[in-house]
Amino acid sequence: MSETTTPLTPEAGAPSAELPAAPQPPGSGATAAAPRGGRGALVRWALWLLLAVVMFLAPVYLPGQYLTVGTWVMTGAVGAMGLTMLVGQAGQLSLAHSFFLLVGGVSYAVLSGDGSDGFIGLHLPTFVALVLAVAITALVGAAFAPVSGRLSGIYLGVASLSLVFLGWYLARSLPSLAGTTSSGRYVEDLHLFGFYFGEKSPSLYVLDVPIGQNERLWWLFATLTAIAYAVARGAVRGRIGRAWRAVRDNEAAATVMGVSVVRQKAIAFAVSSSYAGLAGVMVVWWYDGLLKPDEAVDSGTYSTSVAIAYLAMVVIGGVGSLGGAILGSAIVFGMPLILPLLTQGDGSGINAVSGTDFSPVVITNLIYGALIVLIIVFEPGGFAGLGRKLTARLRRG
Amino acid sequence: MGSSKIARTLAVSTVVLSVALAGCSTKASTSNSGGAPAAGGVKTDVGVTDKDITLGNLTDLSGVFKTLGLGITQGTQMWAEDVNAKGGICGRQIKITSQDHGYSAEKAVPLYAQSKGSVLGYVQLLGSPILAALKKPLTDDKVAVVPSSWASTNLDVPEVVMVGTTYDVEMVDGLSYLLSKGKIKEGDTLGHIYVDSEYGKNGLKGSMSFADAHKMKIVQSAITSTDSDLTSAITQLKGAGVKAILLTTTPAQTASAVGQAAAQGLDVPVFGNNPTFTPQLLQTPAKAALTSGNFITVAGIQPFSSDAPVVKDIATRYKAKYKDTPTFGPLVGYTFGQTWGAILKTACDAGDLTRQGILDARAKTTVDTGGLAPSVLDFTNLGAPSTRAVWLLKPAEVEGGLSLVQPEPYTSDEAKAYKTPFQK
Repeated sequence: MSETTTPLTPEAGAPSAELPAAPQPPGSGATAAAPRGGRGALVRWALWLLLAVVMFLAPVYLPGQYLTVGTWVMTGAVGAMGLTMLVGQAGQLSLAHSFFLLVGGVSYAVLSGDGSDGFIGLHLPTFVALVLAVAITALVGAAFAPVSGRLSGIYLGVASLSLVFLGWYLARSLPSLAGTTSSGRYVEDLHLFGFYFGEKSPSLYVLDVPIGQNERLWWLFATLTAIAYAVARGAVRGRIGRAWRAVRDNEAAATVMGVSVVRQKAIAFAVSSSYAGLAGVMVVWWYDGLLKPDEAVDSGTYSTSVAIAYLAMVVIGGVGSLGGAILGSAIVFGMPLILPLLTQGDGSGINAVSGTDFSPVVITNLIYGALIVLIIVFEPGGFAGLGRKLTARLRRG
Repeated sequence: MGSSKIARTLAVSTVVLSVALAGCSTKASTSNSGGAPAAGGVKTDVGVTDKDITLGNLTDLSGVFKTLGLGITQGTQMWAEDVNAKGGICGRQIKITSQDHGYSAEKAVPLYAQSKGSVLGYVQLLGSPILAALKKPLTDDKVAVVPSSWASTNLDVPEVVMVGTTYDVEMVDGLSYLLSKGKIKEGDTLGHIYVDSEYGKNGLKGSMSFADAHKMKIVQSAITSTDSDLTSAITQLKGAGVKAILLTTTPAQTASAVGQAAAQGLDVPVFGNNPTFTPQLLQTPAKAALTSGNFITVAGIQPFSSDAPVVKDIATRYKAKYKDTPTFGPLVGYTFGQTWGAILKTACDAGDLTRQGILDARAKTTVDTGGLAPSVLDFTNLGAPSTRAVWLLKPAEVEGGLSLVQPEPYTSDEAKAYKTPFQK
């Protein structure tokens, strides 16, 4: 393979809908990453800037509950970007994403915890704990290589599902690491250079708005999402991404070209799980520092249903597309949270609801299910496919 | 052609526009009216105006506990109407705003963020995963909350106002009753099937403590809340020669356990914690086993079918107002309301209806529920359950599916001596 350098930074990038990396046509190979003319680059720069300004100012306008929804969507987006690389780029099915979330969360809790209340904690600085937690999750993902190297498709999916059961069992049997199923364990939010992201009584004001925990977490999560996106984009467009696609499209051909199939599969699993690890740390922060193992394997924060939700994000967004993963998270993680907020705003009237009626939450679940079916039936390429069609039409017209 | 210009204009105008708009953000810090004495000399902060006191109700109206959530919600609503008809509390009317989280912690977190700015406290918070997720925010915000879960391990903070006794004390009372009736003896081996969660572990704490005191042996069988077939657990207990079965399980698991015990010829008394039974179980094949007299359970509230005047009054009005099948939910909800009412009155007398004022009042309040609860509820001892008395119940073909085993409440000496984890 020839050594090509591709920019890792998103400056030459396009906004989400324009993302290439179309996985459907086999043999499509790498996508051109060469910056197109100065004008296009400028437009894209301006759009990125616009996005940055919007994301920076959003906490000033949005009430706390919508910030909470936003940070949850970003958490899902980071995890889904990892999974979309694994599924869409490297062609490996995984149903173990929620297990890697748990590994990330537990690692962070053990590394950053102060060891009080009978929990094991190394009391490392929170930022170091974050970095190490991501690294540990990557290693755990790579350790799955003996399995991922031998299996593919639905066989790999089912094999990886066992990890969720394993994680669920281990988390409950090791309460000194993961906290008890009753009350979990609490760890600190990130603090960096004396700046506390979990600040409850803020002294910082932006445009006369007090910047408390919700606002700070929004900024933190947005930054982490942006970094995750930039790195993923670099990987997808670079040599790693080409190797992944070669493995995905034809393992024999990839071997002939000198790509080590087993190694690339292991790398894909490691990268994907490191994203899930980061998302797992974000989950702990989102819950105000609470890490709590699930009480059942099929419901809760690290359950099989969450693993399937991540797969749904990837499919809705368009398999292999990073921007699509973010949109998928907005639908799968965001919608069930935002609809109850909008429909039961002041809480009046709900007392008239009978237990068998269509309550806002029931309607939310119906819309969510219907949307997945509609997207798969009418646009198998997901939102990324829609976006590509739209931009193509705009260019033509 | 001019796209770069457009882009630049777009970017610059956005920045300018947003900065300008930010001046009118509704989130901008305004003068904080917190703690200011309002009309009538009562201090208020969140959720209280001169006319209203607003309480929140964060419950499950669409998930696995929707029947219970709906019943409790209706009960609290009935309480609020009764209070308002009598002129309210502290000269203010009670308003309850309800939100449905569908038994999902992820949904509950933003819903709490939405309602916390407009309510004084929560008259109901349903679900132990939800309580776990919100416990720290509730403590940080000093918001008093009545949870619909009764694990004594949650009594470590003053914000949690638990109405009725806890699962461990229920278990001690139940075992003591079986012992006093000669259904079990000192030195017996007992089997305890429990859901491996906050709920089940708290029940186990009670049975272990009782077994220690009476030289009994507990054979533990941990299951998960979604297990539906308890055949192997019952086989295991039968093999161990247990003299009684203790259940801290879900209702469906109760049906499976009781049915299997009957099928395997394990004819021993079965005692279940309060959440192990719902009236719907009497429509299942387990009905015969449940009504055979082997199964008893307890509750911190009178059954719907009770002859007590207070229950009859509420039950009659409930059936006139709502069309849903009666459960113990409405009575539980009514007691939740009575507890808030007593705390609000204490706070009003102290001239402080702030959130801190509510927590201070809680520590001075005892609640007379007029006979709904088995005793006066005493909240003055933080960390201890508000009562150690229970109503002993057995399944029966009556409204609500349960009838009293004996007309008096039951409190065992062991329960009085039992020390809950955070008792001072």
